[in-house]
Amino acid sequence: MERNRQGAKAAYVLLTIVMVLWVLSPSVVRRFNREAFTEFQAPALHLVGKGRDLARYWELKSRNTEDLVAASRDLARVNAALELKLAMMQDLRDENKRLREIARYTPPNTFYTVVARVGLRETSSWWHRINVRKGLDDGVRPGCPVIFGDRVVGRVTVVHKNSAEVDLITSPAFRCTAFLEGDDQGRMVVVDGRAANSLTPPAARVWNIPYDYSIPAGTVPKVMTTGLGGIYPAHLVLGTLEANLRNAQDGNFKEGVLRPGRDLFSLQEVTILVPTKPSRAEDLLSGRYDELQ
Amino acid sequence: MSWAWLLVLLVTYPWLLLADMLSDSLASWGVVIFITGAVLVVPCRRLKLWQSVLVAGCLGFLFEARRPIPDGVMAFWMMAAAIFFSTRREWLRNFPLLLRAAVACNVLGCLVWYFAAAWALPYRGTITWSNVLPELTLQVFTAAFAGLIFLLPVSYVQELIMDRAGVPVAKDVV
Repeated sequence: MERNRQGAKAAYVLLTIVMVLWVLSPSVVRRFNREAFTEFQAPALHLVGKGRDLARYWELKSRNTEDLVAASRDLARVNAALELKLAMMQDLRDENKRLREIARYTPPNTFYTVVARVGLRETSSWWHRINVRKGLDDGVRPGCPVIFGDRVVGRVTVVHKNSAEVDLITSPAFRCTAFLEGDDQGRMVVVDGRAANSLTPPAARVWNIPYDYSIPAGTVPKVMTTGLGGIYPAHLVLGTLEANLRNAQDGNFKEGVLRPGRDLFSLQEVTILVPTKPSRAEDLLSGRYDELQ
Repeated sequence: MSWAWLLVLLVTYPWLLLADMLSDSLASWGVVIFITGAVLVVPCRRLKLWQSVLVAGCLGFLFEARRPIPDGVMAFWMMAAAIFFSTRREWLRNFPLLLRAAVACNVLGCLVWYFAAAWALPYRGTITWSNVLPELTLQVFTAAFAGLIFLLPVSYVQELIMDRAGVPVAKDVV
C-alpha cells in the first residue's frame, strides 16, 4: 500500500507536468486532438442518424396505399401552384437584375443551400446544440446560418469532415441583431440565447428594445434578421416576441423573451446557407488582407 | 496485456453513445446524461496505473470533443481521478464501495464540466446564481442517478472483456 502511495505521488507530479505542457502547447495540437476524438465518434453518430432515418422509412412504408396516393395528389397540386409562382418570380428577377445594372448596385452576398439531416441534439445550461450530418466535404464552413423554411435555427460553430455542430438560437453562445415587426422606425435590437433555461420551453432574450416601442395591439410581433451583420440574409424569422416586456437595468431600454418559430428539438432536417463568397472575416483569417486593402 | 485498456475503451464507448442518445431524447429538458465518470471506476480496479490513466484521458477527451468545454479540462480531471482510484484500490473492494465510488466520480465529473463550460461561455452577462443553482442541482442528481443505473451493466461488460483479455484482479482488491 505504501508503494501505491509513492506511485500516486509520482503520477500526480507527472500529470502536473503534462498539464503544464498541454497548456503551453500550440493551439494546433489541441485542435488536432479535439478533431481526432470527434472523428473517432463520427461513424457511430452517423449510424445513429441512419438508424433514425430507417425507422422513419419503415414507419412511412407501413402506411396504406390510399394515404400515399392522396398525399402525392396534394403534392402535385402544390407543385403546380409553385411552378406558376416560379415563372412570376423569374420576371421579377429579370427586372431586378436590370434595375441593379442601371443603378450599379452591389448585390448582397448570395448563398447556396446544403440540406442536412439532424444527428444528435444536446442541451444543457450552457449549450443548445444539434449535430448535423454535413461537413467540410459538403462545403459547410463555420459561421454559416442554419434555417428551416424562413425560420432561423442557429449558426454553424464547428465543422468536421462529415458533420457539423450548430448552436441553436436559444444557446447562450448565440447572438445577432434583429428588427421588430411593428416598429416603423426600423430600430435594431439584439437577440441572444439565455443561459440556464432548461425545464422551461427554450427561449432567447431580446434586448436593446427602444423604450417607446410597444407591441401593436392584438398581434404577436415577429423578430426578424436585419441582414446587416453579413451572416444572416435579411427578413428571416428568428421567432416571436412575448408580450410582457420589462425595463432593462439601465432604464433606457426594454427587454423581452423570444420564442423560436419552430420546436428546435424536433427538427429532422435543416438547411445550411453557405455564402458563395467568403466573408470579410474569412478573408482576413485566410491572409488575404492585402488584397482587401 | 498491454492493449487491455483499448479493449476496455472500445466496449465502454457504446454505453457513452447510449447516454448521448438519452440526452438527445431529453433535449427539450436541458439535461445531459453524464456517465463518463461512472464508467471509469471498474477499469481502475484491475488495470495498471498507466493503463487506467490512458482510459481516463480518452474518456475525458471523448466527452469534451463535441462540447464547448475548454480543451483538456475533463481529460485531466479524469486522469487525476484514475490515479486516485488506481492507488486506493481498497476503496473499490466490493460492489457497494464500487457503487459509492462511481456515484462520487460521476457527480464530481459533472461539476467539473458544468463549471468549465460556464467559464468558456462567450457572454456571461445574464448568469446569476438564482437561475444556475436549480439547474446545477438537477444536473448533479441526474449524474448521480445515471451513475447508479449504468454502473451494473457497464461494469459487467468491462469485467467480461478484462477477464477475456487475461487482466488479473489486483491484489489489494481481493
